[in-house]
Amino acid sequence: MMNIKAFRLVSAIERELLMGDKDHISIECIECCGKNLYVGTNECFIHHFLLEENMSPNGKVTFSATKQRHKYLGFKKPVNELKAASALNRLLVLCDNTIALVNMMNLEPIPSGARIKGAVTFALNENPVSGDPFCVEVCIISVKRRTIQMFMVYEDRVQIVKEVSTPEQPFAVAVDGHFLCLALTTQYIILNYNTGASQDLFPYCSEERQPIVKRIGRQEFLLAGPGGLGMFATVDGISQRAPVHWSENVIGAAICFPYVIALDDEFITVHSMLDQQQKQTLPFKEGHILQDFEGRVIVATSKGVYILVPLPLERQIQDLLASRRVEEALVLAKGARRNIPKEKFQVMYRRILQQAGFIQFAQLQFLEAKELFRSGQLDVRELISLYPFLLPTTSSFTRSHPPLHEYADLNQLTQGDQEKMTKCKRFLMSYLKEVRSTEVANGYKEDIDTALLKLYAEADHESLLDLLVTENSCLLTDSVAWLEKHKKYFALGLLYHYNGQDAAAVQLWVNIVNGEIHDSTRSDLYEYIVDFLTYCLDQELVWKYAEWVLQKSEEVGVQIFTRRPLEEHQKDIFNPDDIINCLKKYPKSIIKYLEHLVVDRRVQKEEYHTHLAILYLEKVLQQKPSANGNCAEVTETQAKLRNLLQKSDLYRVHCLIDKIQGTSLHMESAILHGKLEEHDRALHILVHELKDFSAAKDYCLWSSQSKDPPYRQRLFHMLLSVYLKPGPSDCDLVPAAVDLLNHHATEFDAAQVLQLVPDTWSVQLLAPFLTRAVRESLHTKRVTQAALGLAKAENLLYKHDKIKLKGSPVRLSDKKLCQMCQSPFCEPVFVRYPNGGVVHTHCAANRHMNPNSSSPGNRT
Amino acid sequence: MRKPDVKIVLLGDMNVGKTSLLHRYMERRFQETVSTVGGAFYLKQWRSYNISIWDTAGREQFHGLGSMYCRGAAAIILTYDVNHLQSLTELEDRFLSLTDTANTDCLFAIVGNKIDLIDEVGVKDGAKDLNDPGKTISNCDSARATKRVCLDDAMALYKKILKYRMLDEKEVPAAEKMCFETSAKTGYNVDHVFETLFDMMVPIILRQRAEGPSQTVDITNYKPAKQTQSRCCV
Ligand SMILES: Nc1nc2c(ncn2[C@@H]2O[C@H](COP(=O)(O)OP(=O)(O)OP(=O)(O)O)[C@@H](O)[C@H]2O)c(=O)[nH]1
Ligand SMILES: [Mg+2]
Repeated sequence: MMNIKAFRLVSAIERELLMGDKDHISIECIECCGKNLYVGTNECFIHHFLLEENMSPNGKVTFSATKQRHKYLGFKKPVNELKAASALNRLLVLCDNTIALVNMMNLEPIPSGARIKGAVTFALNENPVSGDPFCVEVCIISVKRRTIQMFMVYEDRVQIVKEVSTPEQPFAVAVDGHFLCLALTTQYIILNYNTGASQDLFPYCSEERQPIVKRIGRQEFLLAGPGGLGMFATVDGISQRAPVHWSENVIGAAICFPYVIALDDEFITVHSMLDQQQKQTLPFKEGHILQDFEGRVIVATSKGVYILVPLPLERQIQDLLASRRVEEALVLAKGARRNIPKEKFQVMYRRILQQAGFIQFAQLQFLEAKELFRSGQLDVRELISLYPFLLPTTSSFTRSHPPLHEYADLNQLTQGDQEKMTKCKRFLMSYLKEVRSTEVANGYKEDIDTALLKLYAEADHESLLDLLVTENSCLLTDSVAWLEKHKKYFALGLLYHYNGQDAAAVQLWVNIVNGEIHDSTRSDLYEYIVDFLTYCLDQELVWKYAEWVLQKSEEVGVQIFTRRPLEEHQKDIFNPDDIINCLKKYPKSIIKYLEHLVVDRRVQKEEYHTHLAILYLEKVLQQKPSANGNCAEVTETQAKLRNLLQKSDLYRVHCLIDKIQGTSLHMESAILHGKLEEHDRALHILVHELKDFSAAKDYCLWSSQSKDPPYRQRLFHMLLSVYLKPGPSDCDLVPAAVDLLNHHATEFDAAQVLQLVPDTWSVQLLAPFLTRAVRESLHTKRVTQAALGLAKAENLLYKHDKIKLKGSPVRLSDKKLCQMCQSPFCEPVFVRYPNGGVVHTHCAANRHMNPNSSSPGNRT
Repeated sequence: MRKPDVKIVLLGDMNVGKTSLLHRYMERRFQETVSTVGGAFYLKQWRSYNISIWDTAGREQFHGLGSMYCRGAAAIILTYDVNHLQSLTELEDRFLSLTDTANTDCLFAIVGNKIDLIDEVGVKDGAKDLNDPGKTISNCDSARATKRVCLDDAMALYKKILKYRMLDEKEVPAAEKMCFETSAKTGYNVDHVFETLFDMMVPIILRQRAEGPSQTVDITNYKPAKQTQSRCCV
């Protein structure tokens, strides 16, 4: 069992002072009340001392007693018991089976001579029931067998209030309120002397072993049990605390919270009531009295009186902590809660929790440590300061004094053990990460985040980047130096950016990409920079690095212009002409950028459209230098070119026609002519140069896309004419014409077509066209008829309604009442609802409701 | 000190493993124990309830303390050693009377501990039987030395307890639910015992809380009064 120093044994009365050289005198009983110490002797004397508590220079408590007087009671009997009743200024003295009252100060018997006779032993009720402050309640075990008596004792009289008989002979008694706790011959019981109800506690043979019955607090007693147990029992007959384990021959017990003190013939033992463990053993020979008086514990042999001075609780707790007994220290501290003012306790307890936390921490019990730090509201900087270099150089923190732990730093704590060191660092990381967003961090955010950054950087931890891209309070100078030291240049860039130094950030990253400094955090750093510049608001910075990004990659680099946030365009931050100017050297980029302007942003500016069309055209021509007519496959650029030529109305058509002349780009040429409304020319090119009939048909379709139906019809007829016009030699065009008619019958005016087609064509040849045309015409007729019929029917309905409304006249008379207000009509105006209800105009205005549609029962 | 809501008491002969069971449950470990002196006390925070669990001493010397410890108990765990029939018999002979002071609606659980020893011996014996049929005599010996107490015996005791307490079998949990076999050593079934009891005690706790701090409200007096009243009305 580990020990703690809870008490010190201090002599209270010098032996000479008490008995001089008379060896036959021995101490029988003691009473202590405030500074008054009374000793009763075997020779029927009472001695009165005044006890002074002194503090020696080394901080230890000592006592000195000065004798006041002594008094001989006049018998040949020992003084058995002494009890002070300070409110009455009386000392109750048991001697020769009689309890006499004497004056507390001069020890003179009271004049009235009031006394209690026939008492074997007695006890005062420390939880009196009478409520009279000038009265003490005394319980005696009577000389009469199996009898207990209750008395009220006043200044100069006594009064018996109750006599109860017990099932067995009582040996010891203690009182609390109406409850007596009694040691009987074979057992302990609780007896309510008011109701007579009794409750067995447990068996105990009082004849074999001296029983102990000691009230230890409200409604609770401490009893000597079998096997040297100190048993706790309440007046309800239950035990709320586990027993303490004394020796078999214990003779006395006392309480000095949170300790139970016991005396046997060789030792004083100290147990904690909080965990029932034995905490201290003091050798003490021949002791025969152990009692506590208002918190002061006194032991005595037959010759000397001693005081057990409790060490200050804080000292005890510190001793426990010093020997790493965290659990016990906390139990003791918690137990002290009710003995210490709340404010003081909280400060003390918090500090103990923190100390305990560091003890656990030093043993790498991080879970426990964390909990203790949390509940102890530790200033995190205490913890951070254990780790060398983590606190910012500017931090004004100094450790609390006296120190919470004995360690200078982590190196000392781990004694250089790298593995332990790593564990400690990992713990701090998780701890700081957890607390940085809680109130624990209030006021220390910079210290916490800077420390966290340092830990992450050193450990190459991925969270470093998360820390820097989210809200943080990392101190710039400290962090820069640390990140440079650990070559975390990418992260350093993030830090610069967070601190508004984008130029420094980009320069650093560019250096990494250029290989001037090394940091492999991101393999896609170039793309990252492009992205960064894309969203960068600093124009100058974007221009500064535009050339660099474009040189690296035309396609990706141009994104700094093409992917800029939408809201920027409206503010015209970047002038497109400047950008185009800059991109001149980068053909791929410039096309992308113009596409961005024309296609994505739909900028309606002739220059851009023309520029883009020309760039496309040049590229297409570049791609097929030997301009052959084979247009089976169309390159991507060509498709884009065609698309632009078709969709845009802004570019300079003539300029492009000039450029395209003499090339084999027939389709493009046709489109351009189409733009000039030269459909004939266009179709001619398509049919005769390209011989692409389906393209010709498509031309008709898209050229007329946003136009009215006659326009389209005109185009189709035009195409038909091209086909039917006797061309230069070939008659291949007839099938194309037939095909066109048969497949697009609805685009034509059948009557006109019939006049156009040569008479030589058989009906069979045009059968699909004719069928379609006839069906179309029939369909149109029927639809029109149906519409006519419906319109007539509708007209009829309205007529019907009109007639109905005119049909029944409304008669107003004196008897006719308004359906709303139930009063007659006085004027020839009224409102009539479609269902026939008639109301005043003002009633109808008041209530926009049909009077009958609301259920009448509800409203009236 | 937190005030406990209810009390559970462990009873049983010395050495059956009460302390070990409680230790296993509270500390999640098995370690050597010393024979308990007097009694020990744990406070278990379970859900929002504080449950005090008393470990008593099985030694004859402390037998007299049992009644006091059982006073006001809401549940009692009677513990025996499955390898010693005597320890089960003792429960009836010596420990049952201690429970007189417990609450009238006190729950009873019967727990046969050290089941791990049975398994070991059982497996060993089985193997021996198969491999070496000649050694039947030694088998008999070992079988006799570790005479296993059947769960049926425990259930029979449970029913006797109900009779003793004059409880209606239909109104209390069935024997099958309240008889357990455990091993504090391996942890087998230990949580189950405690948590089954805790679950069953919830209504008791709630009722006590509803009754308020004065725990001696006499319901028996209250009920008839109400009945007469209603009879008047009819
Ligand atoms: N093999 C095995 N041994 C056990 C088990 N439980 C307890 N023991 C052992 O049995 C012995 C007695 O255990 P305790 O828990 O002290 O018994 P107890 O019931 O508390 O005894 P008392 O305190 O004297 O009443 C110890 O040596 C334990 O290690 C178990 O489940 N299996
Ligand atoms: Mg035990």
